[in-house]
Amino acid sequence: MTISRRALLQAGAAATASAAWPAAFAQMLKPGKPYAGTTLSVLTVVAPQFKGHEALLPEFEQLTGIKVKYDYVPFANTRDKLTAEMVAKSGSYDVVSVMDVWGPSLVSLIQPINERIKAKKIDMEDRYPAAHLRASKSGNNILGLPIRGHVQLLFYRRDIFDQLSLKVPATWQQVVDASKVIQSRTDMAGIAMYYKKNAGQNLMIWYNFLWGKGADILDAKGMPTFNSAAGVEATQDYLDLMLKHKVTPAGSVAFDENDATISVAQGRSAMIPVWWWRLQQLRGKDAKISGDQVAFAPLPSYPGANSTTYTNTWFYGLNKFSKKHDAGMEFLAWLTQPKIERSLLVDPSKNEIVAVQRANLIDREVNTVSNGLHRFGALGLQGARGVPLIAEWPQISDILETTMSELASGKGQVKGALDDAAGRVRKLMRRA
Amino acid sequence: MHDRRLVLLLLVPSLAITLLMAMYPLGYSLLVSFRDWRLAKSPEPGPFVGWENYKLLLTDDPEFLASALVTLKFVVANVCVTLLVAMVIAVVLQRAGRLYSITRTLLIIPFVMSPALIGVSLRFMLNPEYGVLHSMAAGVVPTLKNTVWLSDGDWAMVALVMADVWHWAPYMALVLLGGLASVPKDSIEAAQVDGASAWRAFFTIVLPQMKPVIAVVLVLKTVFALKTFDMVYTLTRGGPGASTQTLAYQIYTTGFQFYDMGYAAAAAYLLTAVLMVLAGFYVRLMFASERSGERAAKGAGHD
Repeated sequence: MTISRRALLQAGAAATASAAWPAAFAQMLKPGKPYAGTTLSVLTVVAPQFKGHEALLPEFEQLTGIKVKYDYVPFANTRDKLTAEMVAKSGSYDVVSVMDVWGPSLVSLIQPINERIKAKKIDMEDRYPAAHLRASKSGNNILGLPIRGHVQLLFYRRDIFDQLSLKVPATWQQVVDASKVIQSRTDMAGIAMYYKKNAGQNLMIWYNFLWGKGADILDAKGMPTFNSAAGVEATQDYLDLMLKHKVTPAGSVAFDENDATISVAQGRSAMIPVWWWRLQQLRGKDAKISGDQVAFAPLPSYPGANSTTYTNTWFYGLNKFSKKHDAGMEFLAWLTQPKIERSLLVDPSKNEIVAVQRANLIDREVNTVSNGLHRFGALGLQGARGVPLIAEWPQISDILETTMSELASGKGQVKGALDDAAGRVRKLMRRA
Repeated sequence: MHDRRLVLLLLVPSLAITLLMAMYPLGYSLLVSFRDWRLAKSPEPGPFVGWENYKLLLTDDPEFLASALVTLKFVVANVCVTLLVAMVIAVVLQRAGRLYSITRTLLIIPFVMSPALIGVSLRFMLNPEYGVLHSMAAGVVPTLKNTVWLSDGDWAMVALVMADVWHWAPYMALVLLGGLASVPKDSIEAAQVDGASAWRAFFTIVLPQMKPVIAVVLVLKTVFALKTFDMVYTLTRGGPGASTQTLAYQIYTTGFQFYDMGYAAAAAYLLTAVLMVLAGFYVRLMFASERSGERAAKGAGHD
């Protein structure tokens, strides 16, 4: 793995810029604390990262006189809460956290901030990798500033691989081969997969199989193409990890992402392809394995194909119905300073790994603390792909995850099931 | 006349609250069901489309019809098993004694638990790697060691039904206990003196006299089973595939995941229509049992 010269220069520049903070930030603020006394209400998903931000708020209050109150909502309820805000045209929250795939269906709730970003002189392209930038836009409108983003990595048991003299798999076939060795010589499953229907989780690794085979989900006209010959082959390979090769835990068919992660954390599986933030869980206090036993690598792919990753991005945007857009933007500009993100990453006690800013992903100190995890993240982001950001996506995702769950439970043939799903997606797109 | 006015006046607050909290949303959602309202495109309801949403649901939506079939299966299995288990519990616990009395009190515990919590707990308990129920089942029947309970549509449905039965059966048993207590003991004793076995006495004397209570339990449980959402959401998410996707769950996803509010409202109204028929039955049964109770009391008075 190599890091480009440009990226290293950017990291150096970022480090220099960090040292000049908060003077640089003070220039971004409107002089004279014009919003002093304002209280902002932030609707945010539950994540340790945001608790870390909350702890830094006194500094922002001191700089601007703006008070900020966080209201945490569990992930499962976040979209419902945002929907309620949108329908009620409520301005009870000034800043809202939104996941990328929800963006197109929540455009009526979010105030575009293109002009405000220009006014704050934030260089979005310099600051954020393309995948995260794309996820925070709807057409030409910038809906918010990326605040939380994930790439997928392959986590594996370093001790088991060393003990069995196995090479870290770079292809899915190598995953099968390594898993078979592991299963024959230990009581562990090879790779923890998750095929249960739950918020599209059983599709998130499948996308990489599709992309690795050169297939895709929708074509340029927005019509299904996942049932192409390459798509069918990729889907069969994805399911065969469990159905044919039997290198997954028996429960994988009913596992969601969390169950599969627990399987590795409890020492029952040797590998898992999953979002990088799950590392916090794998080396957390409830894990039966120690942090040293877990290592990571880019997601496997097909021979000759580059490793890909699906990305997941959360952005913070301004509620269209809020009356405090100016103060809200002051807050966003402050919160998304590279230094804020970095301060959490370089503090080992925070056990925080989530980063969305280019400079932090390749920052030397950040990577020293994370054992190079962020460099892998940066590398993954170079080949990052996303799902179509369209209003119909939640429904398409539901059709696909239901199909995948059905196929994983042993019902039906891949080709027929994908053709049927494609028919339903076509019907949906025509109705849209 | 003065009393009548006072009664009407006293009714006003509760009527107003009912109108505001129940009738307004019901009326509004009925209007929405005749509109094409995609929330992703506009927070304002779209144009009126007449019966189009209903027509699509009933003639061109295989998923809706499949969910209706899943719901039917769930309701039939759920109501039958709940009634059977509740009846067994009620018969066992109708005896006098301290232990029975304590058990009757404890029976309410499963009912006061949140269905969502039951769903999540059962999902963990059935986990093939660390689930306590799975381990117990595999301990008793070793061939079940590799069974993945929620991976198969039929097993997932069984898990869903059992979870709901566990939640509801104790409460229904309490209702049936009340019914059992009202069966005159002397007619049972008379039958036993005439040589009827306990089983025969139960089926020929107790059960016929329990009919009104059983009917109420049946209707009430059917209504609640039709509305089941929390457990589906937390236990199976409608899967595997769509094998446990009930109507209530499908309506939720259509409205709050796909943002197709008009279509979701129409589907909800089709479900509501069934529920209202059942509610009508329930009300009639309640009044019928009240009237028969009054008649019985009057008859006893004449004696």
